[in-house]
Amino acid sequence: MRWNPVAPLLVLARERAAAWMRRRQGADLLPVALERRRLYILPTGTGVAFAALLFLMLIAGLNYGNSLALFLTFLLGAFALVAMQQCHRNLLGIAVLTVSAPAVFARARGAVHVTLANPAGLARYRVEAALPESPAVAADLTSPEPRRLELPLPALRRGIVRIERLRLATAHPFGLFRAWTWLHVPVEMLVYPRPAGSLPMPAESGARPGARSRGGSEADEWQGLRPFRDGDSPRQVDWKAYAREAPLLVKEYSPAGSELRVFDFGRLTDPDVEVRLSQLARWVVDAEAHGERYGLALPGVWLPPDRGPEHRHRCLAALALFGTEGHAGSRPV
Amino acid sequence: MPAAAPSEVDRRLPPLAWACAAFAGGVLLNVDRVPPWASAVALFLIAWRLTSERAGMRLPGTVARALLALALVAIVLLEFHTVNGLAAGTALLMVMSGLKLLETRARRDQFVMVGAGLSLLLAACLDRQSLARAPLYALAAWLACSALAAIASEGLGVRAALRLAGGALLIAMPLAVLLFLFFPRLPGAFWAIPRGAEATTGLSDTMSPGSIVKLVADYEPAFRVQFASAAPAPEERYWRGPVLHDFDGHTWRRSSGAFHPRERLQYIGRPYRYRVALEPTHQRWWLALDTPAQSPASNVSLTYDNQLVAAEPVREPLSYDAVSYLRTRSLEPLSASSRREDTARSRGNPAALALAQTLRERAGSDAEFVTATLEYLHRGGFVYSLTPEPLGADAIDDFLFNTRTGFCGHYASAFVTLMRAAGIPAHVVTGYLGGEWNPVGGYFVVRQSDAHAWAEVWLEGRGWTRIDPTAVVAPERLRRGVLDLLPDALTTRERLLRSSEWLTRLLQQWDAANAWWSDHVVRFDYPAQLDLLGRLGVRSPDVRYLGWAFMLALTLWLAIIAWHIGRAARPAPPDVLSRAYARLCRKLARVAPARALHQGPLSYAEAVSARRPDLALPVRALLERYAHLRYGRADAGVREESIEEFRRAVAGLSLPRPRQ
Repeated sequence: MRWNPVAPLLVLARERAAAWMRRRQGADLLPVALERRRLYILPTGTGVAFAALLFLMLIAGLNYGNSLALFLTFLLGAFALVAMQQCHRNLLGIAVLTVSAPAVFARARGAVHVTLANPAGLARYRVEAALPESPAVAADLTSPEPRRLELPLPALRRGIVRIERLRLATAHPFGLFRAWTWLHVPVEMLVYPRPAGSLPMPAESGARPGARSRGGSEADEWQGLRPFRDGDSPRQVDWKAYAREAPLLVKEYSPAGSELRVFDFGRLTDPDVEVRLSQLARWVVDAEAHGERYGLALPGVWLPPDRGPEHRHRCLAALALFGTEGHAGSRPV
Repeated sequence: MPAAAPSEVDRRLPPLAWACAAFAGGVLLNVDRVPPWASAVALFLIAWRLTSERAGMRLPGTVARALLALALVAIVLLEFHTVNGLAAGTALLMVMSGLKLLETRARRDQFVMVGAGLSLLLAACLDRQSLARAPLYALAAWLACSALAAIASEGLGVRAALRLAGGALLIAMPLAVLLFLFFPRLPGAFWAIPRGAEATTGLSDTMSPGSIVKLVADYEPAFRVQFASAAPAPEERYWRGPVLHDFDGHTWRRSSGAFHPRERLQYIGRPYRYRVALEPTHQRWWLALDTPAQSPASNVSLTYDNQLVAAEPVREPLSYDAVSYLRTRSLEPLSASSRREDTARSRGNPAALALAQTLRERAGSDAEFVTATLEYLHRGGFVYSLTPEPLGADAIDDFLFNTRTGFCGHYASAFVTLMRAAGIPAHVVTGYLGGEWNPVGGYFVVRQSDAHAWAEVWLEGRGWTRIDPTAVVAPERLRRGVLDLLPDALTTRERLLRSSEWLTRLLQQWDAANAWWSDHVVRFDYPAQLDLLGRLGVRSPDVRYLGWAFMLALTLWLAIIAWHIGRAARPAPPDVLSRAYARLCRKLARVAPARALHQGPLSYAEAVSARRPDLALPVRALLERYAHLRYGRADAGVREESIEEFRRAVAGLSLPRPRQ
């Protein structure tokens, strides 16, 4: 990209404008209906060029006293005004129902989910939603049914990715104007540590880590195959089936007995905390996949053995937040 | 692919194709006014760009494009010797935009091409404002706006784009009309761009045998005339154009440029007041009924030979009020310089000279000589024809004694030569004769085919006297047009059009529409704006009132559009069921906890029952019925009735307050 001398000024101006809008509008409580007060509209670059062209046409028409040239100018000018109104209308009245960001594993593709509804009978086209400094995702809202947009949000490291605001914009129908609004909806995306590590899962109460390898033990009852999900252990994958050009499948086993496992941070020896957390995450994911009961012990956090999606989330959240301000499980996640 | 009805298929075009289409529209509008190579280059570049896109060919690099650009600018300069002019500018814009197409990749470039198309449309408007072209201009504007939509929202179907742009243009139309009416115009040009030498139309300032024939085949209107009261008879409707004095034996020209005083005239008979709407001729004279009494405008002079000559060529349609008298008498003798000019003899034509001298010797006076000459033409076996044989070196002799066929130009020319041979001052007057009544518009339309030439001779005691030698050869020409007289002169198309009453009527209506367009749209200027304000009831209209009207129109329209557009975006109003439910909840809130926003009807029923067990039964029944009506399935007819029943039940519900 070329060096642009105005770029820093533009960034500054944009930040000032954002702060001003935040003060002016206040935080938003969903659901939000986009009313006139919060919609902004400005001509695009094309719009400015179009206005310049119209000005030249007006000068030419007046100079020659040429009625058709003047009429053409006025027609296009009025057309631009209609374009402005229609652009504004394309956002007006849209309802933002939910904004959420489901938890993801680190280095996976995260997304902010925005649900938009169009309660009026009017069809909306090319409504773009975008996170700050990110490319926009466009959608057509042609029916009253809510429509979910997924705005990609990279999850690089474990922890929390905070989004303060997101933008809805449109340049429909003629690209001469752009109407937009900022939604000040704080969204937090929880990023779990990436499941990694190949240490064997600790046995009962974590007394003898690695004494017994999980995943495919004869003690478990073979239950069937299910599609691969993020975080599944590669050891559970049915590689033979995969070699037969079947999709990536995972062998599932029913819980055998009521084994109690506690994954203890303190028992891992790797000097890198992140490696340890990744290993713990691996075990949590595997154990849940096998339907086992498991607990998690982190410095200052004790999650007694349990199972189920909520327990899995609690454990992974504790891992995600370990060492951050939200540590110690005090934060409702 | 699912089979869809053809009407539902909305084909999509790539944005580049739209950009090309908008540009091509502008090019096609200008095809007939730029050199053919310019439009050919532009169209070729469009085809090249589209083909290269489809076939995935490489586009020429920067160097090739720069060389091409230089070459094209050079050709334009060679052709026009300037780029500062409408035709040159249009040609330059056309080829340069075509070149720009070769580097058009991004969306921005595509918008630029639409802008080029609109600029070419503007150039076309500046050049031609005829009614017949207006629909083409409208189509081009529509196409350009649709291209804007299709480029801005990629993936938009052709129909959708056309519909979007068409809708917006229709909404814009009332405002455009208001702005057109009230936006203050400027009285004159503030920046003059040199105009190229545009082809002149109509009468020219020279006349040679055969020059008027070209006009006779031209059915286009030259001007239209509306008389304030009764119009003169057709044989009196001589429309005076260029007066020709100089004759070199073959061609008549205007005058040598010497100064001649204008003799004072006595006007005889009633004045004819009329309004002329003149089509552009790119020449300097204005047409008037013979003889105009005064100049209709400040920049137009009434010359010594009673022509109206303007300072500037007529480039735009214009209209003026004029006063004429059919007969005049000179109050002064002919000035010596005029006499010298109008008795000058050309070399050659000895037989004509001899004939004139013989006739003059026999006649007792100048007036009798004129009669004798006319008699000679009448009896001499002359034939009126638009396709005479070509004349030899001594053209007048050849005509008078050999071919004896010709039309007005020949007769006027020969007659004036004979007069001058006898020493009588005479000159040729060119102009138009007659005019066709248009009952739709209430005016006469004078066409190029009505072009005519006659003579004026100076008779002592009377002054300049009109003599039309054609009249003695073909007297019918005075009352009817040339085309009625010699139907062979008509083209097949015109003969067909004139063959049926219905088509003639249609033609008249079309002509009246053109006249209206010319008068009320093309010539709508500052005085017309003030006139409009006056008719709207403004006492002393000036530019301030125009400004106010302009602002008022703009504000009003914006308000209406904002209201109209905002209405469409508002959520649909709650239906009967929702209103009844809201009412039920309000009633319940007075005697029990209010419904929380997240509570559905069934969970609310639970909450109310817990607090007011006494009301549990009726409230639960109502809320369940609501849940069923809202979310359950029912036949449309039954549902209507049930909703009405529910509404009545809610209205009749009275809930006792809790006992304290």
